[in-house]
Amino acid sequence: MSAADIELVEVHKHYRKGRIDIPALDGLSLTINAGALVAIMGPSGSGKSTLLHLVGGLDSPTSGAVRVGEAQLARMSERELTAWRSRHVGFIFQMYHLVPVLTAAQNIELPLLLFHMPASERRRRVDTALEVVGLTDRRDHRPSQLSGGQEQRVAIARAIVTDPDVLLADEPTGDLDAKTSEEILNLLSLLHADFGKTIVMVTHDPRAAAYGQRVLHLDKGVLDRDEVNPRVAQAVRV
Amino acid sequence: MPTLQRDWWALPTLQSTNVTLTYVLMRNLTRNPLRTGLTAVAFALPMGIFVLALSLVVVLTEAAAKNEKQLRLAVRNKMALTGYLPDGVRRKIEELDPQRQRLRAVCAMRWFGGRVPDTQDTLTSLACDVDTFPVVYSDFELSPEEGARWQSERRAAVVGDGVARTHGWHVGQRVELKSTIPPYLRLEFMIVKIIANSSPPNMFYFRRDYLRDSLEADGATGAGCNLIWVKCTSAANLRALQQEIDALFANSPSETKSEDENAFISGFVQAIGDIPGLARSMALVVVFIIALVAGNSMMMSFRERTSELAVFKALGFPPRRVFGLVLAESLLLALLGSLLGIVPTATGLALIPRQMLISASFSPPRFSALAVVGALTIGIVVGLLAGVWPAYQALRLRTTDALRRVA
Ligand SMILES: Nc1ncnc2c1ncn2[C@@H]1O[C@H](COP(=O)(O)OP(=O)(O)OP(=O)(O)O)[C@@H](O)[C@H]1O
Ligand SMILES: [Mg+2]
Repeated sequence: MSAADIELVEVHKHYRKGRIDIPALDGLSLTINAGALVAIMGPSGSGKSTLLHLVGGLDSPTSGAVRVGEAQLARMSERELTAWRSRHVGFIFQMYHLVPVLTAAQNIELPLLLFHMPASERRRRVDTALEVVGLTDRRDHRPSQLSGGQEQRVAIARAIVTDPDVLLADEPTGDLDAKTSEEILNLLSLLHADFGKTIVMVTHDPRAAAYGQRVLHLDKGVLDRDEVNPRVAQAVRV
Repeated sequence: MPTLQRDWWALPTLQSTNVTLTYVLMRNLTRNPLRTGLTAVAFALPMGIFVLALSLVVVLTEAAAKNEKQLRLAVRNKMALTGYLPDGVRRKIEELDPQRQRLRAVCAMRWFGGRVPDTQDTLTSLACDVDTFPVVYSDFELSPEEGARWQSERRAAVVGDGVARTHGWHVGQRVELKSTIPPYLRLEFMIVKIIANSSPPNMFYFRRDYLRDSLEADGATGAGCNLIWVKCTSAANLRALQQEIDALFANSPSETKSEDENAFISGFVQAIGDIPGLARSMALVVVFIIALVAGNSMMMSFRERTSELAVFKALGFPPRRVFGLVLAESLLLALLGSLLGIVPTATGLALIPRQMLISASFSPPRFSALAVVGALTIGIVVGLLAGVWPAYQALRLRTTDALRRVA
């Protein structure tokens, strides 16, 4: 039952495009408790994905501190970040990003290939992850043989198979219809409630955001509003 | 609701082996079988040709090495390859070394320009001094009986295996050649020996006394020769004699030009076309083309997979392993394609008897391990080169951009 808290202090992330300096994040500070389910909203270009990438150690801030659990990400080298990611973060993307030539089970197994682990152990973990997302009967299907919702569930299984401290989801329902979105959001809620994962989810959809205990609104790289969702905040049970 | 035992979720240490990605690698190759197939064929065809060309070069190089061992010096008219030298030249050369310390024998030859009647097949036909020919061409390995027949039979001919095969000639057969040089004599010969692995394959040696008598019977002059071969006893002696002979005839009416056998042949061959050079540059062009084709198709196939490679990195695969994955795929495909071209070609060269391919005008390549190893090496290098750029791109790939781009 591992989970980590997240702390950002005065984080700046600037992109340089030729002479133009784009401040994707402009002095952002925030704290997310361990085991929280937080939604992040904001207009396009407000820096939501950038924030997620920094928390996930995919990128380093221009200045400021990013802490996830024990790890001070801003001080880590790219190599250290890579190793850290494999252990502590699970990513879920809007476009699922499954490897098309691999079956569902093989996709889920992929992150485990980085660890010294007997095949039987990998299989056990994959089976458990498949069971959690309810796709045991689709383990040998290729992504092209799955629906969008099923693909996203495989992606979620892949994200949790290493039992990471944080799950980072960038518009996980952005490509799905309302009913499938709901299934995915319920699954994320379950991971949050039952396994105590810290989950940060970027979304444009207010109905998706309603699943968060807290909704952070970004605008132009700074925190615009920080709302607590009382209804969900209390219902931390499944 | 699945129940999870939390204790076994604890992750062991990171592993550092690369074998685990092999499966992904293999699946990637079969992902688009048509493209994989076409790329492999794009490798296979030129590689097959490459093996052939290289085998040919090897055969020619071997022939040159063999010639060098024979320590033969070619003396000809300085003005022209077809120019004449007086018959006295042979004697003067022999007098340079009466003790036969530095030269073993001297054999004068005269072009005949013989053509097999009713064909366009002009042979490399030379009339040779009967006494010294077997010594100067000891590498033809005339048996005592063959040597005896060469001495006793005025019309004796020693012919290359290529021409023999083309015309179905065998030892003991009477054959006719018609000269393409005035007075266009038509002579009859008796084959006493067929030279194995003759280079060129259309050699036709016969006796100069026979030619001289025939020419004189026709009212023409039979005196003079075009070419004098001096068989030396060592490479040093060969070089020394080369200087001495040319010095001896300098400022005489018949100035000579001496060169070793390979220099003579390559000068001769260049007059027709530089075959080894041609084969080499053909091989280079071929390698260049496969590098382009393969490189391009690798790039295309990886560009489509940018976000996939980014996912590997996002999941925590070290960049160098993603680099390795891309490079290995390129290398594997190159190897596959190369083998597809090399194996059948090499097998064909090894199994099809050379005798079936040989003809008067064509000296076929022989199976050469060197050519196979060379082609395979080139295939591997090209595979690496074609993969390095996409692999480097994958290494440098900014995960965040790649994942954003698609989303
Ligand atoms: N590699 C880059 N180079 C230059 N600018 C970039 C780069 N990546 C992001 N940006 C800019 O940074 C800003 C924030 O981008 P980000 O992707 O975080 O926005 P977002 O809130 O996720 O938007 P969306 O809702 O459209 O996904 C944008 O203005 C974007 O153009
Ligand atoms: Mg975004």
